[in-house]
Amino acid sequence: MRKRSKISLVVLCFFVVFAASVFLSVHEVWSADKTIRIGAPLPLTGPLAPEGKKIQQGYNLWAEEVNKKGGINVGGEPYKVEIIYHDYQSKTPRAVQLAEKLITEDKVNFLFSPFGSGATKAASGVSEKYGIPTIASTASSVAVYDQGYKYLFGTFTPNQTLTDPMSKIVKENVPNAKKVAILARNDLFPMAIANVMKKSAEEQGLKVVYFGKYAIGSMDHASALTQIRAANPDFFFATGYVNDLILIRKQMADLGVKPPAVGMVAGPAYKEFVEACGPLSENVLSASWWHPAVRYKGTSVFGPTQKYNQIFEKKYGHVPDYGHASASVAGVMLQLAIEKAGSIDPKKVRDSLASLDAMTFYGPVRFGANGQINSLKPPVFQIQGGTQVVIYPPEIKESEFKLSTK
Amino acid sequence: MAATLFFQVLVNGLVLGGLYACIAAGFSLVWGVLNIINILHGTFVVIGSYSAYYAYIYLGVHPFISVVLAGIILFIIGYLFQRGIINRVVAAPVLITLSLTFGLDLFLNNSLLVVFSADYLKLNLANPLGVLQFAGIYVPVDRLAAMVLALFLTCLLYWVLEASRIGRAIVAVRMDREAATLMGVNAKHIYAVTFGLGALMAGSAGAMLSVIFPISPIVSTLYLSKAFVICVLGGLGSVAGAMVGGLVLGVVESFGGLIFGPEHAMTISFCLLILLLIFRPTGIMGKKGYE
Repeated sequence: MRKRSKISLVVLCFFVVFAASVFLSVHEVWSADKTIRIGAPLPLTGPLAPEGKKIQQGYNLWAEEVNKKGGINVGGEPYKVEIIYHDYQSKTPRAVQLAEKLITEDKVNFLFSPFGSGATKAASGVSEKYGIPTIASTASSVAVYDQGYKYLFGTFTPNQTLTDPMSKIVKENVPNAKKVAILARNDLFPMAIANVMKKSAEEQGLKVVYFGKYAIGSMDHASALTQIRAANPDFFFATGYVNDLILIRKQMADLGVKPPAVGMVAGPAYKEFVEACGPLSENVLSASWWHPAVRYKGTSVFGPTQKYNQIFEKKYGHVPDYGHASASVAGVMLQLAIEKAGSIDPKKVRDSLASLDAMTFYGPVRFGANGQINSLKPPVFQIQGGTQVVIYPPEIKESEFKLSTK
Repeated sequence: MAATLFFQVLVNGLVLGGLYACIAAGFSLVWGVLNIINILHGTFVVIGSYSAYYAYIYLGVHPFISVVLAGIILFIIGYLFQRGIINRVVAAPVLITLSLTFGLDLFLNNSLLVVFSADYLKLNLANPLGVLQFAGIYVPVDRLAAMVLALFLTCLLYWVLEASRIGRAIVAVRMDREAATLMGVNAKHIYAVTFGLGALMAGSAGAMLSVIFPISPIVSTLYLSKAFVICVLGGLGSVAGAMVGGLVLGVVESFGGLIFGPEHAMTISFCLLILLLIFRPTGIMGKKGYE
């Protein structure tokens, strides 16, 4: 008796599973012809998880808005958007494998690249091989775009578009500025931006009196900061990610490093940096590719910048930063290109991306011949009164540069 | 000028070493006595940091007081983990216990990620502890306090093991489990207390570090890897091992960073570790067991 009920339970389970899978596959077939599938390998766990989640929020917001408004219009026919995420656990080789899996097994139409310049460069070979248009939402290094690839497009301008205005502002505003000290995380993007800062500062006539790099996973910066204090720079520029820069800012105070200008990339754009550093974040200078204070009259799904901020805040309860915005605009770019092409054919969408000329909440969008955006003027900002205020370019600035006091 | 630089780097190294000792103290106890490489240790430190952070934000409790509170919370967590789960395999080869704590850590750390998210926090005191300054040398008070805490924990542990009834029982179980059991010692309870003490020290350290390092579940692996190096460096089975290992590592990293550049600070310390493993595998202070 007992045995029989067990068997019938097993049979019942099989039946339920079978019915569910039939239902799901029917559902898939039914919706497949009206859906655009976009693959997104992201670091959702591991050290890059905070960044990965930000990017995911940006993509999701775009997909949600598009679907709410009836989908993407492809030659008069509405297509829903579906983003397929795979977690590459912050391991670049895994990102490359997953990009290939997304294209060959999940049959995605388009791809959003993995996080950062390094992983984007690694995965771009795969999407190029299969001819899948790919939008990179977090890659700025020119080395990513100068591979001669045709299917890769990026939302970030080259790094020196951040460091040139920063060093210029320091030169113009710090009385008698002569010396700069640079401390960089020994990692692709942080080193790249430190190197272009060296160049930008030298072009402004500043002398680099210290250039140090620290290992990934460093828990202490005292030796470097002690030497920097001895070198007495007018401008101190540190690169790394949020946790590194929080620690560096704290140890600067611990060791009495007080230059008149302090610049950091890429932490101050995030609210966590300001909250974690408290009063020490005051007057830290930074730059990013986008800022919620910029004002563009976008015509895409999000409308103007203010509207984007509003929609974002309503969903997530806080102000977007450049990471969120760049992810959202990656979707917008793809949407504009598909609508312009009137097709989801990869080749046609690729050509349409290459000739795109549109205004979005993120700024004007045009790509150079290498696929990297060249129409943006990234804002420089400073933490003043506990928030980021834009101090450059002049047409959108909210405040003037202030010297560091702490 | 050069003298100031030298002494500043020396002081930097010593206070950093104090932090390291603080991180490693409990790890050393658990490894030395239970022969368990406790992968959970870094996560325990992070839980201590979160306890101190939220106690300060919501209740206004100063982290110095949280050092005690976090210690108690972690003691309970540690006791339960050992009594309920790890005790089942405690006599198994070290690889088994290592795999178990590794698995438990994956579970606990990811639970923290779900609850607290990966965003970095840091405790900012309304009245910062400030910096002592003499003859051009800066000493941050919070790091000094962490060093004092590490010293205090080490002394306390020494006292517990030498003079208290439970401490004698811990040592007895370490020396000969069966004989101790025959003498009426409840070995399971003693194991759990020992593991609890290790967790207590991790929690106290975490509370102290909440004003110094950014807090996130992700940093647990950094704490763990430092604790590992410090214990091997200082030597297992000696109460002072973690203290000595921490201070040596701090000073070596500090001067390594000065002489060879900050990117090589860790390279130097790992080279030292390899040399030590070749020429003195028991570590600087090491001997066999807590005998």
